[in-house]
Parts: sequence; C-alpha cells; structure tokens
Amino acid sequence: MADFTYANIAREMEVYGYESMIKSHCRMCHGGCGVLVYVKNGKVAKIAGDPDCPINHGTLCSKAIGSIQLVYHPDRLTCPVKRTGPKGSGKWQQISWDEALETIAEKILQYKKSFGAESVVMGYGTGRENEAVIYRFANLLGTPNVLTAGHFCYGPRLATTIITCGSNPIVDYENHPKCIMVWGNNLVISNPDCYKGEPFSQALDAGAKLIAVDPRLTRIAARADVWLSLRPGSDTALALGMLNVIINEDLYDKDFVENHVHGWEAFVERVNQYPLSKVEQITWVPKEKIRQGAILFATTKPAAIQWGVAIEQQINCADNNRSLLALMGITGNIDARGGQVLFRAPKIRNVSRFGAHNMLPKEQVEKRLGGNRFRLAGNFAIINPKCVWDAILEEAPYPVKMLFLISSNPVMTRANARQVYRALEKVEFMVVSDFFLTPTAELADIVLPAATWLEMDYIGDFWKRHGYILPRRKVIQVGQCRSDHEMLNDLAHRVGQGEYWWETFEQGLDYILEPMGITWQEFKKMEYIRGELKYEKYKGKGFSTPTGKFELYSTLLEKWDYDPLPRFREPPESPYSTPELFQKYPYILITGRRQPGFFHSENRQLPWLRELHKDPTVEIHPEAAEKEGILEGDWVIIESPRGKVRQRAKLFAGMDPQIVSAEHAWWFPEKKDPGHGWEESNINILTDNAYKSCDPAMGATHVRTLLCRIYPEKHKGNR
Amino acid sequence: MTKYALIIDHTSCWGCKTCEVACKQENGIPDGIKLIDVLEDGPKIFDGKLDFIFHVNVCRHCDEPSCVESCPEEAIERRDDDIVVIDDEKCTGCLLCVEACPYDAIAFDMENNVAKKCNLCHHRVDNGLIPACADNVCLAHCIYFGDPDEIQRRINAKHLGGERNIMP
Repeated sequence: MADFTYANIAREMEVYGYESMIKSHCRMCHGGCGVLVYVKNGKVAKIAGDPDCPINHGTLCSKAIGSIQLVYHPDRLTCPVKRTGPKGSGKWQQISWDEALETIAEKILQYKKSFGAESVVMGYGTGRENEAVIYRFANLLGTPNVLTAGHFCYGPRLATTIITCGSNPIVDYENHPKCIMVWGNNLVISNPDCYKGEPFSQALDAGAKLIAVDPRLTRIAARADVWLSLRPGSDTALALGMLNVIINEDLYDKDFVENHVHGWEAFVERVNQYPLSKVEQITWVPKEKIRQGAILFATTKPAAIQWGVAIEQQINCADNNRSLLALMGITGNIDARGGQVLFRAPKIRNVSRFGAHNMLPKEQVEKRLGGNRFRLAGNFAIINPKCVWDAILEEAPYPVKMLFLISSNPVMTRANARQVYRALEKVEFMVVSDFFLTPTAELADIVLPAATWLEMDYIGDFWKRHGYILPRRKVIQVGQCRSDHEMLNDLAHRVGQGEYWWETFEQGLDYILEPMGITWQEFKKMEYIRGELKYEKYKGKGFSTPTGKFELYSTLLEKWDYDPLPRFREPPESPYSTPELFQKYPYILITGRRQPGFFHSENRQLPWLRELHKDPTVEIHPEAAEKEGILEGDWVIIESPRGKVRQRAKLFAGMDPQIVSAEHAWWFPEKKDPGHGWEESNINILTDNAYKSCDPAMGATHVRTLLCRIYPEKHKGNR
Repeated sequence: MTKYALIIDHTSCWGCKTCEVACKQENGIPDGIKLIDVLEDGPKIFDGKLDFIFHVNVCRHCDEPSCVESCPEEAIERRDDDIVVIDDEKCTGCLLCVEACPYDAIAFDMENNVAKKCNLCHHRVDNGLIPACADNVCLAHCIYFGDPDEIQRRINAKHLGGERNIMP
C-alpha cells in the first residue's frame, strides 16, 4: 500500500480541483471531531476526518458528513422571520436583523421592568456550543433562569462529580484501560460528551476486558466478557451490589480508601444494606453474574467506567452517578493512568468564568425557579423544565413572560410534551434561534436563522473536561445566518450590557484565550491545545471538595438536606411501585435508544441521514409481539397513562420480553403543516414530569423507564 | 499487477453506518440505493449464546463474478487489478446481474434504469486515492482496502490484540 495514504489532502485537491481545504471542528453532536472541509466554487464540497486530531484520529460519524446537506438544505431558515398569524398558523414574514433584534431587546427590557428579569427565561438544547454566551447574557441581564437539558443530561455528571471529587473523571482511552465497564451507554453510536467511539474501540482492540450494563443487547453488550442485563431503572441497586462484593471480598484499594476517602464507615454501612440476594431481586440480574462483573472490574487495573445520559434521566439520577463514582474511587482508578482522569483544561477563561455567574445578583439567584426544591441543580444554575412551564401556565411563584430558546426543541425533547406545548402556546413572547422552523419554532414570535459549525469561528470544546481545545474555523457564509455568539453579542449591546461584551465576537474569543497569552488569530493557526497532563493530582493537594477527600459521603448533599449516601429508589412506575397500574400497562417502556445519523430531534430532514433510519421504531420482544398480535414492521400504538403515540415495530430478542424500547424526539419535517407531526410519534407525550417523579436533588425528569401497553394500529390497514 | 480488495472485519463493526454516508458523499447515489449496506444480524442464538452482529454488505469483487457472466451487454468488467466495475453507460437495465449476484450486492436504480454496485471507487483508486468508505472514516477501523493477503495479515494481528490500526 505504499502508494496510498489515508486522507491524502494534496491528491484530493488535485484530483477534484478543490479550491481550498480548511481544518475545522465538527459540532453535529456533543462530540467535536477534527474535520477536513474541502471547498469548491465557494461551497463545501466534501467533509472528511482529520487524521491529526487527537479526538477522532481521522474517523467520523455520519452526522459530520451529513452537515453538507444541513447547510444547503432548501428548508433552511436563512433570514429572520416574524409570525404574522396566530401561533401555529405557519404564517411568517421576512424581517431584517435590525428589526428582529430591536424588537427582542425592547421586549426583554419591558418585561424586566414590569415583571423582573426572572420573567425572561433563556434556554438552549444540546447543540451548538453556545452555553457560555447564553449564561453570560442571562446572568448580566439578571435572570437566574436558563432552561437547559442540564437537569437530566451531562449537568448531573458535572454536579455529582464536582461535589464528589472536584471534576468529571474522563476515561483515559489513550492509555488503554485493561477493563472497561460500559454502563447504559452506546458510545459507538452516540459519541457522548467528552467521548468518541474511536478511542474506545481502539482500547478494546488492544485487549481490554469489557463489561456491559444494559437492558438491551447492543453490539457492545454482545462483545462483552460479562453482560449484566438489568431491569431498567435499577442501576443504583446494581452498583451498590457490586460495591458490596468489592468491599466484603476485600477487593478495594486500601491505600486510596485509608488516605483519600471521606465517610468510609457510613458508606460501608449503607452498602451492606444491599446484599446480593436483595440486589438480584431488584435488578433481575443473577447474583453470580453481579459477582463476576464486580470481581472482573475490581481486579483488572487500570479499569474505567464509560457512562452517559441514560442513567441520568431517572429518579435515581444523582445516586446512579454517585454510586458509579464510588466504584471508580474505591478501586483506585480515579486520576490513574489508563483509568479515569481529572484532566486539566488549558489555562483559559473557562466556561464558568465566561458565563459570568458571579455577576448575577444574590437576590436574583434566590429567585431561580425550583432552586429550593432541587437544590443540587440550583447550586449549578440548572433548572427543572416543569418549573418553567408551571410559571408560564400558573404564574407561580411568579409569571414567566418571555422565552428565548436557542437551539432547543422542547416540544419534542422534554417530558410531558402536551404541557410543554400548552406553555409555549401561552407564553407572551417567544424567540427561537434555529436552523429550521421546528415544531417549537412554529410557536415563536420571532425566529432567528442560526449558523452551523461550518459558518462560525469558535474555540471548540472549551467547556469540556477532556483537556483539549480545538479551533473551529469559519468556512462559509449561508444567507444571513449568524452564530448564536455573534447574535447575542449584538443583542447585548441593545439591552445595555455593551460594556461586558465586544465590538465583534472575535474579541470575545480573544478574551477566553487571554490567560494563555494568545489571540484567536494565533490559536486559529494551531491544531489544538491540551492542558497540562498529570495523574494522581490528589496525592499532593487532595480533591477539590469541602473535605479535600473523595466524598463517598457528600458533605454538600448533607448541607443541602439530602441523604449524603447513595440509595436506590424504585422507579415511579414499575411492576413493584405501581402493581395495579402494571396490570393495565404490562410492559416496561424504555425510551431514547440512539440511532446513527440523528442527534435528538435533529437531522430528520437530511436525506443521507434519514435514509439510514426512515421511521420511528419501537423494539418489542418476539414473544411479546406474538402475544399482542404484532408483526415486524407494523405500525403500533404505544400507550401510557398519559397518552399514546405510534411507532413502527421491530422484533428484538435481545432483552427481557417485558421490555419495550422506543425512540425519542421524532417529528416529520417532510410534513409541511406547522405541526410537522409533533404529536404522532413523540415519546414525550407518554412521559411524566411530575415533581415527585423527578430526582429529588437534581430535578432530572424520569423519562427512561415507565409502564406502557402496546398493540397493533390495525384500523389504519397498514400491513 | 497489484491486486485490490475491500475487506470488512465484521466482528469489529459497530454499526455506525458512516461508511454508507461516506459512499453517498463520494458517489452521489440516489436516495433508496445503497452500494454499501450495514445490516443487523440478530439478536439470535449462536453457539448457545445470544449474539448480535453487524454484516456490511458490499460487492465482493469476486474472482469469478457471476454478474460479469450474466450481463448480455458486457457492461461489467473484471479489471486486471481484480476490481469489478459496472459501466452505467452500457447498462440497459435488464436486471440479470441483480438476479445473478449471490450476495444481493447489486442494487437497481429504477429512476435511471441502471444497475448500481460498488465499483470500489475505481475513479479514486486510479488517481491514487483510497475508496471513500475505506479512507479511515470507520471508527472501528474495520474497513480495509489493498492487497487481500496483506489485509488478512493485519486483521489477524488485530484480533491477537495489539496493532494500533491507524495508518496503512
């Protein structure tokens, strides 16, 4: 193969006649891969992976390549629009940026004056690395209310890791863990926060042992040495059971426990309340399997746990995370080479500093919606969505008058979609910034055309915990689209925050980089910057927690009046917590299985990606399907006590026959009416957002495990 | 003469389907037609254990291609470097090759009335470039292009646990 090399840039340029190749940093998911963007006739012509990027080593996912179809999509919004008919009428009129931003500024100032800044709620979804500017804008405005996915996605990982050990421990795949326990995660498809499937795959190829914890047989579970197929929602119990084995069979790291842990005795007492016989009953995993997994994990060094969002979207959110942290900690894998590392970011102004949290007046912090109810979340500036919908609908504890949602589609992606829809219908003024007129945007007053990652300069991954920052370089301009950063920088001047912002947002990038003594223009010429790499930092100066120790017993949770130790709570709906309901809804519904090509509610309109997976699909075990009269490919109704939706049945034998697994965030951009089919297959019509079913500390909505029934949609004659 | 092959190490495939989209980007194939197709196999019982694997279906560029034999228009040719190429211009849409292929690896473009299959990106290979799907897009590094014997050696080495499989 002497003549062939991967990503042969010079040959590509010559053979295809590209004008230029710009290296950049993709942002089609929460990941951030290095990419090569080839340009021809002023347009993006090809996207390939950057072999020099330490994150993805030249590999990509389908979404990165699909970006070409996103930027030039015929339905894409390319200028600001205002609604001219009633909400949901689909009547829009093009307006100038000046008119749009002046109108928005006027409304913000008017609501702030009449109802307080807290009546204006800013929000973002998972998408465009805009969290830092949005928090900055909100904090300087004086609103404590930024509505994000943070209550049940990544926010819990940050909050629980910070209170336990000071930062989020990231798997050190580069140094090849010898054992990887993948817990409720399918990272080769989802490429979640701080991770890519590629380094994981390499670590396995290098011979790592693999433990998979998942109710479903993913390919990862199929390749695993041990697959623990647990009952959905029983993760904390399983982790406590494994801890029980590790402690009572004396497999923990004595030195770490003696010198670096807070609350050992109380912790052991708690763990002893979870003997394997009890854990087997709760989790449906045989005792011997649990023991086998625990021993493999504890005796193979270094070992790491790959975790993700699935365990956070549960009533046990914080305790799921905390019990997994305990597993990482007492086995001595925290901050260990090839284990999981508290990586240091480069010395820049970090997200928290840039987000200007210290500028929010204390009396405004006190007004954070749900701040007293969900106190772990509140201390990390995170709010539970129902608090916002209630404040709009009930005007309690005070009215929310304006929503400003940036890359967020809560009609599809938040629990109890019908309540979300009612709230968005009622709110007095709503602005959305997005690529398309989504079902959420259709309810807005003004929609702003957002730039994609190919249309902006930015410091990629500067909020992450893997220790790298990478330049995202602007390649093209599409219509009048603007990045959220530039848009908010402009708007900030119009609402009187000008002194804290910049003439152009490039100076904002300079401000982030300033502590390193470089400018954006200089950084732009670099490949990436990595923070200082050091292991076992705690041995010198302890952990960045109140006790300086790894807090198995959380002094902060105790201070906020929560149980300082992890414990298992039965899911709000289950065969055990609601046996009567289970008679009527005899299946355990799990939601949110990831598909290649999609990122939550995004990308259904991109032909290359939609072709990978045309329809919303619900998996049902062949035995259950037979019982319910369901055939492969049938459209079926999934029904919970809160509503019903349709998805297409796929028979799947890789799970307990009592489980049904549905996809989330499906809408149909090809349906041109303003609803775009938001009610048809939207699994969040079935989910509940009652406060009592949320994680008591984090406010995570329990969207992953509920009860349902399922039956063929025969009347439509669709077989 | 150098021989070329595209070999996929199925046991390593994660089913991410990036290869499918890389192929679309390179070859501009219409919606509904796939020259490379990632298929699920299972979950089902293999050797007494519940298993689940992906199979990537793509033209095998056979030693004795039945598609070449079947084509009355001589539109399919096996080149000296072992790449089997179908020529759109010569194809009359008779579908005989689609039926002849034992691997179900030839698709049919109804709109343009032509058979479509993986030509191993011969337009790239002839210009010194690796086929789109094999050009290091795959996160499992499980799509190999080059000399078939050499590929098999690399796959074996990988499964023995060791090779850091970044560059050819």
